Amino acid sequence: MKKENSIFMKIVRNQCFIPLMALLLLVVFNLIADPGFFKITLADNSAGNPILSGFLITILDSGSELAILAIGMTLVTAASGGQDISVGAAVAIAGSVLLRVLCGTNSRPETLQAPIIAAFLVSCVAAMLFGAFNGVLVAYFKIQPMIATLILYTAGRSIAAWINNNELPVISEPSFKYFGEFIPGIPIPTPFFIAVACMIVTALALKFTNLRLYTQAVGINQSSSRLNGLNPAVIKVMSFVILGVCVAVVALIKVSRIATINYSVIAKDIEMDAILAVALGGNALSGGRFNMAASIIGAYVIQFLTTTLYKFKVQSDALPAYKAVVVIVLVVVSAPVVREWFAGFSKKFMKREAA
Amino acid sequence: MIKKYVMIFIVVLAVSAGAGWVFFGCAFEEEISHDPAPCEEEDYIVIGLSQIGSESDWRNANTESFKSVFTAGNGYYLLYEDAQQKQENQLKAVRDFILQEVDYIILDPIVETGWDTVLMEAADAGIPVILVDRQILLENDELYTCWVGSNFREEGRAAGRWLEDYLKLQSRENKEIRIVTLQGTPESSAQIGRTSGFADVLSEHDNWNMLDKRNGEFTQAKGQEVMRDFLKLYEDIDVVVSENDNMTFGAIEAIEAAGKTCGPGGDMIILSFDAVRAAIQFMQAGKINAVFECNPLLGPKVAEIIERLEAGEQVEKIQYIEETYFDTSMDLEKILKERVY
Amino acid sequence: MSKNQASAAGSFRDKLKNLTDTNLLLAITIIVFFLMYLGAVLFQGGGFLKPQAFFNILSANAALVILSCGLSLVMITGGIDISVGGVTALISMCCAVYLDFHGGNVMTSAVIALAIGLGFGLFQGFLVAYLDIQPFIVTLAGMFFARGLTTIVNTKPFNVANEAFTKLKMTRVTVPFMGSVNKRGIYVDAYVEIGVAVAVLVVILMFCFLRWTKLGRSFYAVGGNAQSALMLGINVKRTRFISHVLCGLLAGIGGFVYFLHVGSGSASHAAGAEMDAIASSIIGGTMLTGGVGNIAGTFFGVLSLGTIQNIVSSAGLDQAWWSGITRAVMLCLFLVIQSVVMARKKKA
Repeated sequence: MKKENSIFMKIVRNQCFIPLMALLLLVVFNLIADPGFFKITLADNSAGNPILSGFLITILDSGSELAILAIGMTLVTAASGGQDISVGAAVAIAGSVLLRVLCGTNSRPETLQAPIIAAFLVSCVAAMLFGAFNGVLVAYFKIQPMIATLILYTAGRSIAAWINNNELPVISEPSFKYFGEFIPGIPIPTPFFIAVACMIVTALALKFTNLRLYTQAVGINQSSSRLNGLNPAVIKVMSFVILGVCVAVVALIKVSRIATINYSVIAKDIEMDAILAVALGGNALSGGRFNMAASIIGAYVIQFLTTTLYKFKVQSDALPAYKAVVVIVLVVVSAPVVREWFAGFSKKFMKREAA
Repeated sequence: MIKKYVMIFIVVLAVSAGAGWVFFGCAFEEEISHDPAPCEEEDYIVIGLSQIGSESDWRNANTESFKSVFTAGNGYYLLYEDAQQKQENQLKAVRDFILQEVDYIILDPIVETGWDTVLMEAADAGIPVILVDRQILLENDELYTCWVGSNFREEGRAAGRWLEDYLKLQSRENKEIRIVTLQGTPESSAQIGRTSGFADVLSEHDNWNMLDKRNGEFTQAKGQEVMRDFLKLYEDIDVVVSENDNMTFGAIEAIEAAGKTCGPGGDMIILSFDAVRAAIQFMQAGKINAVFECNPLLGPKVAEIIERLEAGEQVEKIQYIEETYFDTSMDLEKILKERVY
Repeated sequence: MSKNQASAAGSFRDKLKNLTDTNLLLAITIIVFFLMYLGAVLFQGGGFLKPQAFFNILSANAALVILSCGLSLVMITGGIDISVGGVTALISMCCAVYLDFHGGNVMTSAVIALAIGLGFGLFQGFLVAYLDIQPFIVTLAGMFFARGLTTIVNTKPFNVANEAFTKLKMTRVTVPFMGSVNKRGIYVDAYVEIGVAVAVLVVILMFCFLRWTKLGRSFYAVGGNAQSALMLGINVKRTRFISHVLCGLLAGIGGFVYFLHVGSGSASHAAGAEMDAIASSIIGGTMLTGGVGNIAGTFFGVLSLGTIQNIVSSAGLDQAWWSGITRAVMLCLFLVIQSVVMARKKKA
C-alpha cells in the first residue's frame, strides 16, 4: 500500500506529469466531442505527391515551430531567470535576412541568388548576433531579461522591414517550400523532422556536455556558481545565443511556408506561446532547474489546445482568452501556497477519516 | 568618488549627443537630399500623404504612384506617413500635417467613420483634404474637397455578372453552386462595396449558396489561414471569391496544399480583385479564372485635381477612376507587357 | 571670482552627492527631454515652434500617461503589469458596445471602465500578492484574457455614434495665450483634449501619494528590499496587492481616456501600449529592480517618447518604421544609464 503510494507520488511529482495530463484531458475531450478530430487522411497534393492531412498533422506541423523555440526559451529561462520577449521580432529579422540573401537586389527573382543553406547560415549569424546583444544587456548590464529584450521587441520588426527596404520579396523557387511544407514523396510535414533534429541535438548536448549543469548552477545561485569557477555572464550570453539559433530555424520554416514575409504579422505573439510552453512544462520561470522534455511536450499541448479551439470555430483573435484561462488554472494549481493549502486540507481530511 | 559623478554626467552628455545625432542627423540628411527644406520654401507645393500601410502589392503600387508624381522636379514636396493599419496613426499623421502647415492633405482612410474632428481641424487650418481609394461617412460633406477612387460596388457586381456568364457557358446555371468569400478588413469601403456588389448578383440566383464569409485582412498569410479553415469545414467548394489578390495568393497555396486544384479546369473557380501583375501571371499559369481591376495609379489624377485647385477652379466631389477586368480568355501576354505595375 | 566659481562648483558637487537615485534619474530624464525639444525647435522649426505641437503630443498621449503612472507604481514595488494594453482595448470595446448597441449613457460607461480595470487589478493583485505567483505570468494571462475577450464582445471595429459621447469627445480645453495664426491669417486658440486634464490630475495625485503618504512610502520600501520592509513592520503582501489594484484602477481610467481619444472600439486598439508604458516608466527613471522611481519622471518619459515620434515624422522619415527604431535606441540608452547608477549605488 505504502509502496504503491510512493510510485503514484513519483509519477505525479514528475515534471512531465502536468503537461501530459493536460494533453490527456484534451484528447479525452476531443474523443467525446468529435472523434473525427483524430482522422488522418492520405491524399495527393497538386504536385501529385502523397501527403497526410488532418488536425493531428496540423498540430505536429505548427507545434514544431513552437517546440524549437521552447528549447531555446527553456535554456534562457533557466540561466537568466527571465524570458526573452523579442523572439517574434527576431524571427522577423532572421526571415528578412534570409530573403534578402536569397533575393539579392531584386525582390522577385526568377532564380535564387544564393544557395538556401548559405542564406540560412547568414540568417543564423544575424539571429545569434541579436541574441548576443540581448545576452550582453542581461549578463553584463544586469538588466532584467524581459526589459532588456523589450528593446529588440520594439525595434525588431522595423529593422526587419528596413533590411528589405520595406519590400515584400517573393521566392518562386519550389524547393524553397520544402522546409515549411512537404518534401516530395514524404507525407509528413518537414517542420516536424526539423524539430526532431533539433531535439536530438539538444538531447545529445545535454547528455554529453556540461550545458545542463552549468545552466542550472547559474540559474539557481549565481554567486556560488561564480565561486565554483563558472562565469555566469558567459553562460547567460550563451543561452541567448542558442535561442538565436532556434529563432533562425523557426524563421526558415515560417518564411518557407508562405515563400514571402509580412513584417508586422510574421510570428506575432509567438513569444507568449513559447513562454507558456516553458511554464506549462512546470519549469520555474524564476530560473534554475529545468526539464527540456516537459517544455517540448508543453509546446505541443499548446498547439493541441489552439487547434482544438480552431476546430470549434473559435475566432483566431479570441483564442488568447481561452489560453489565458488555462494558464491561470495551471499556475494557481502549481503555486506553492495553493499546494500547501491543499496538502494541509487533505491531511485534515485523512485524519478525520481515520478518526 | 567625484570621478564617478563626472562619469555619470559624461554618460548623460553622450546620451543627449547620441539622441541628437540619431534624430537630427537623419533630419539633416533628409534636408540635404531633398533640398530645399519643406514648409519654408514658397515655390513648392507641400503635400501630406497619409497612407494605410504597405500590406499588399496594390497598396505599394498606389504609394509609388503618388511618390513618382509628387517629386521636387514637378514642384512638389511630399511628406509620407505609413499608418500600419491603424486609424489612430492616421489621425496623428493628419494632425502632424496640419501643424506643419502643408498645402494639401491626401488621406486614404482605413475605416469609414471617426474622421469628423480631425477634418474639422484641417478645415480650421485652411488645408484642403483630398480623399483617395476608400470613402468615409460624414454628416457634413464640406469637410473634404473631393474623393478619388474605384467604384468597388461596381467591381463586385462585375464579378457576379462574370460568374453568371461563365456558369452559363459551362451549363451549370441551374446546379447548386457553393461559394466561400475571403473578405477584406471589415468596414473598409473595398470590403463593403465588393461584398454588397457581389451580393446584388447573388440575390438573383437561388442556386448560389454562400457557405461562409470570413475576414482575411487583405493579407496573404491570413488568406491562406482562412482558406485552410474553409477547406477543413466545407466539402466541394465551387467558387472562391477573394476580395483582393494577396488573399488569393494565400488561398491558392492553401488549396494546393490540400491537394485540390483551382482555376479553369480545376476544382474551384477563383475570382479575385485588384489585378496586380502577379495575379495576371497566376492567370497565365491557369490558377485564377478572372480578376477585376482596381486601378491603383491615382497619383496623376490627384495631381491634376491639385493643379485645378491651385488655379482656383472647382472640382467634382466624387471622381471614379477607369477600370476593367481580365480573364483567361484574353491575351494575357500582351496585357502583361502593357501593364506598368 | 575663481574662488566663487570653485565654491559654486563645490556646492553643486555636494548637491549632486546628496541626490538620491530617484532624483538623479529624474534630473537626467528632464534634462534629456528639454534638450531634445529644444533641438527639435532649433533644427526643425516649423510646427515645433507652435505651442500647439506640444499640446498635440499631450492630447495623443494622455491615456499613456495614466497607464504609465500605474505601471510605475507596480514597478516601484518590484512587480510588473503587462495587461494594461489589453485592458484598455477591452474597455474601449465594452464602452463602445454599451453606448451604441445598448443605448447607455456616458457616465455609466465610465463606471464600467473603472469596474473592468479594478476587476483586473483585484484579481491579478490577489494572485501575485497572496498566492505568490510571478507577476509576469499572471499579467501575461491577464493580457491574453483581455485581448481575447475583446473580440468575443465584438469582432468588428466600429466608431461610436452616441451623441452625448461624441460631444464629450470633441470637448476641448482651450489654453489661453498659446494660440497661433493659421494659413488664412485667423488666430486659433491652442487647445488640449479633455483627457489631458484627467491625466494631469492623476499625475499630481499619484505624485503626492507616493511622496507624502505612509502607504506611498512603503511602496518604495517593499520594492527596495522586501525582507527589511517586512522587518520594519510593513505588510508586504498587502502593499503589493494595493499596487496592483491601483494599477488596475489607473488602467480603467486610462482606458476610458483612450476611448475618449479614439472614439471607437477595436480589438487592435492600444496594441503594444503595455510596452510603451513600461518604456516610459524606465525612461522616466523607474528602476526595474524596484524601490526607485518618480511619477514626475514617468510624465516626462511619456512626453519624450511622443516627442521622438513627432521629430521622426516631421523629418519626413517613414514614421511607422523609424519610430520603433529610435524608441528602442532611447530605451537602450536609459537602461544603460540605470545600470551605471546601480553600479554607483553598489560601490558607494
